[in-house]
Amino acid sequence: MMKLAFVETKLLTREPGALFSLLIPLFILVVFGSSIEPGDTVLLPMALAIAVGLVALYMLPTTLATYRERGILRRLSVTPVRPGNLLAVQLLLLLVLALAACGLLLAVAGTVLGARLPAGGLPAALVFILGTASMFAVGLLIAALAPNGRSANGIGVLLYFPMAYLAGLMQPVHLMPDMLIRIGEFTPLGAFAQSMREVWAGGAPSPLLLGVMAAYALAVSLAAAKFFRWE
Amino acid sequence: MAVIEVTDLRKRYADLTVLDGVSFSVEEGEIFGILGPNGTGKTTTVECVEGLRRPDGGSIRVLGLDPVEDARRVREQIGVQLQQTQLPENIKVWEALDLYASFYAAPRDWRELLEEWGLADKRNARFGKLSGGQKQRLFIALALVGNPRVAFLDELTTGLDPQARRATWELIKQVRAGGVTVVLVSHFMDEVEELCDRVAVFNRGRVVAIDTPAGLAGGEHRMRFTVMTGEMTGVEGLPGVTGVSREGNRMVVTGTGDFATAVTAHLARHQVLVSDLRIDKRTLEDAFTALTGRSFD
Repeated sequence: MMKLAFVETKLLTREPGALFSLLIPLFILVVFGSSIEPGDTVLLPMALAIAVGLVALYMLPTTLATYRERGILRRLSVTPVRPGNLLAVQLLLLLVLALAACGLLLAVAGTVLGARLPAGGLPAALVFILGTASMFAVGLLIAALAPNGRSANGIGVLLYFPMAYLAGLMQPVHLMPDMLIRIGEFTPLGAFAQSMREVWAGGAPSPLLLGVMAAYALAVSLAAAKFFRWE
Repeated sequence: MAVIEVTDLRKRYADLTVLDGVSFSVEEGEIFGILGPNGTGKTTTVECVEGLRRPDGGSIRVLGLDPVEDARRVREQIGVQLQQTQLPENIKVWEALDLYASFYAAPRDWRELLEEWGLADKRNARFGKLSGGQKQRLFIALALVGNPRVAFLDELTTGLDPQARRATWELIKQVRAGGVTVVLVSHFMDEVEELCDRVAVFNRGRVVAIDTPAGLAGGEHRMRFTVMTGEMTGVEGLPGVTGVSREGNRMVVTGTGDFATAVTAHLARHQVLVSDLRIDKRTLEDAFTALTGRSFD
């Protein structure tokens, strides 16, 4: 199990997509960061949501569906190791990748750009956990339903853009119609981004948004588990 | 001792019967062939034996264990090369062997396998950069890294060039020499004839014959020649002759054992002059056609 985790980590570092997931949100942060006021509360939560969204919708489905397509899960089922171990290792690694991307953003934004960091660590952590769980669940469902790695990648990217739009990650929220904002709050990425904005603004995340994320995390991951095929 | 015993195995998918009462047993130390055209249940049978699929009926014993109930103990002792599996593009040859070795309680030293399978100089190459033959050798090495008692090899030379196929055959013989029982799934006649001690011939979800390749082909040979001068009579009664057919002056005599010597001596005695004399062996391919009523491929 340790060796599996070690080898998978090495494989992840050889994957250009992993580097992209780290660098794209950082790039966005730095480009827009040059024009923010000190104490900005908008840009950093946005970059964090983009980072988690990329890992969950781009990296996760592609990796898992490719593993199934290439028969790697099937090959593992004829060894004494269960293929479920590989899934667990992958989820853990991608979680670490999402954490690393967010840590990088927080570090750069907090030091160089002087953006505001949230005062309450606990609400921020809770939002991060629920948001990541709901997004990973969506990624898992794509991995479960996609026939192969390429279509998983396509579905992930295709789903990412409308979700990012509704979540207010592609334009400032105050420029969006109220209707869209309301709809966005009922998507996992939208609830995640909105509750992070609330935390950054110094308030507590609204229970409705937390509930939305928890519901997605639970329902969608159950659906993913039901539809997942090992081969 | 039988290492694998399959009795009356049945499997259906929806309303398609894939296996319709398959039975055979594999003895320790042999290379056992599973032969048949595509879509006759070979791979399904092997996947049931490996515990990848749950049969609808019948029983399977692998090393005395049930491959579904005692999955873990069976998997410790078998090595599998599956059809159409790949590895991650970016994994290095040594990493794959090292990783798969870590799955087993008592693995072989993977460095030895690198040498044996001619992969030592590809040790640090990534899987995606290997040639077809190198990938195939890596898959076989991975099937052996757990130090298995039984190795399952499914269509292992598909897609290889003739030279690489010959080389792979030699290596499979070495695997058996190392004491590993080999179950070889193939739709290549020549491969089965070259390698297998015994063969089960599959057709439409059933085993239609189990024998040695020579036994399946039968001891029968065929002699063809053209009669130039003289009248040929009395060949039917010669020892070993099983059939005579004539088309104009073209003759076909089939028989077993030393019948050809008897026929030529007979012809000489009766001053029959022949030309274009040829003797062919009946092949496994002929036997297959006779058994299944369809030609191969």
